[in-house]
Amino acid sequence: MKSWVDISGEELPVAEVHRFLAASEGGGITVFVGTTRKLTDGKITSLLSYEAHITMAHKEMTKLVRLAGEQWPILRAVLLHRTGDVLVGEASVIVGVATAHRAASFEACRYLIDELKKTVQIWKKEIDQDGNGEWIGDEWGTD
Amino acid sequence: MIITLRLFSVLREAFGTANAEVEVEDGTTGAELVEILALNNEVAAKLKTVIKLAVNDDYVDSDCILKEGDEVALLTPVSGG
Repeated sequence: MKSWVDISGEELPVAEVHRFLAASEGGGITVFVGTTRKLTDGKITSLLSYEAHITMAHKEMTKLVRLAGEQWPILRAVLLHRTGDVLVGEASVIVGVATAHRAASFEACRYLIDELKKTVQIWKKEIDQDGNGEWIGDEWGTD
Repeated sequence: MIITLRLFSVLREAFGTANAEVEVEDGTTGAELVEILALNNEVAAKLKTVIKLAVNDDYVDSDCILKEGDEVALLTPVSGG
């Protein structure tokens, strides 16, 4: 399995992720792109600001890719997360999986994003349209 | 002994710093460090039951005895994605 894991302050390269996965020559590619949502429970968000314990988060993301590779026959996997301010509509996270067949691709992709949200050492602050911010995350293991 | 404290998100803001060198007594445990920090900080006091500790990038139990030069990260529940 080839993998691409990164945490970056730059805009995430969706098209490059697809190219990387397509080079596997597998038959099933799933790409999940998590973006900043404008409306949450009637409240308008203007941006999300992300902060990471970079070394721990990178190690954890690498571990999740390895664990996914033990459960599904993955040809290539991508796990990218952005830090800093992410405006509405921009991507904060990309999960990509290439496999021979679609079922494994969907399942592994779902596993990676669900586990990332539970365990990777990254935090987000929601900033509303008035500039007020709130850190998200009250308990471990939830998403 | 001196340890380096690393703080993120809500705790970084509560203490006004991401990194700090802190002097503690030899033999101090992770849990004792959290108690010391919570004494004078309301946010840390509120969060102390959910804080996980990592020493030199690995999670440790709260009864772990800290050593000179350790880099101790205080981690609150994560919210990436």
